[in-house]
Amino acid sequence: MIVRVLAVAAAALALAGPAAACAHPKTSLSYLEGQIMCPTCHTTLDQSDAAAAQQIKREIAKRIGQCWSTKQIEDELVGNFGQGILAAPPHKGFDLLAWWLPLGSVIGGAGLLALGVWRWSRTRESDAQEPAELDPETERQVDEALARLD
Amino acid sequence: MTRPLKLTAQLLALGAVLGLLALLVWRVTHQTHAPKVGAAAPGFTLARLTGTGSLDLAALKGKPVVLNFWASWCGPCKSEARVLEQAFQRYRKQGVAFVGVDFHDVAGDARRFVSVHGLTFPMVQDGSGDVTSGRYGVSQVPETYVVGRTGKIVMHIAGPITSPSFAGEFRRAVAVALRS
Repeated sequence: MIVRVLAVAAAALALAGPAAACAHPKTSLSYLEGQIMCPTCHTTLDQSDAAAAQQIKREIAKRIGQCWSTKQIEDELVGNFGQGILAAPPHKGFDLLAWWLPLGSVIGGAGLLALGVWRWSRTRESDAQEPAELDPETERQVDEALARLD
Repeated sequence: MTRPLKLTAQLLALGAVLGLLALLVWRVTHQTHAPKVGAAAPGFTLARLTGTGSLDLAALKGKPVVLNFWASWCGPCKSEARVLEQAFQRYRKQGVAFVGVDFHDVAGDARRFVSVHGLTFPMVQDGSGDVTSGRYGVSQVPETYVVGRTGKIVMHIAGPITSPSFAGEFRRAVAVALRS
């Protein structure tokens, strides 16, 4: 009888699985699925059903169940698969370019556009303010016409 | 738009187009293709999957080598594993070295795979795929290369050696490698 009870308890513990091991998970599978790449299909895990992606999802779920943090899981995956497993490039070294270049391009483009608009509006203003100059011949004819009117 | 500003914008646009073109050229010229039969087998040093240390392919020069690329998540690799082990047991007496290269795999699952299938030949791990896809152009596992004593590739099998079309070819390739 005792053996049977112990066997049932052991089975219940086994079935409870990783969830019981970690009451307060530090991260979630759905979050990490968007941060980790499928190495064989080059999309994030959430967009892949490839066998390799399924395997990594299982591994992540297991680690979440063991209360691992996002960083711990990412570090383990990088150690196993290399830096390419991360969807976003790291914030250091040459990879910083990937972060700053698009931002720099947007800011630079917006600056150029603003400068262009400003120069264009100034040209229009000066065109509107300055009276049109008449050539000497026309001016002479206007003066003559005005004189005749007098 | 004033002339200098227009010129700057045109130069920037031209620079962007040239940059994209350079990226395209780089991508096309850096695509990896499977090394051809008769070419030297690309060298590598990879960490052993089981045990410690690493394995250098160059250290096996002088021996025929069967280089098998596999992964624990790969279905056909499971059916191939038993046949590969049998081939290893048969050919090792004749001096043929077998090396398994585990590709894009979780190390724990890969070790379990080796244990479950009773694989006894040396295994190395290529998690990043730098050697497997980068040097051998492998995108789908399993694939097998048979390398001769001189380090030249004798045969490339893109698929499981258990498939009827490849089984005879594999035996012939190992025989050629032994004579090389």
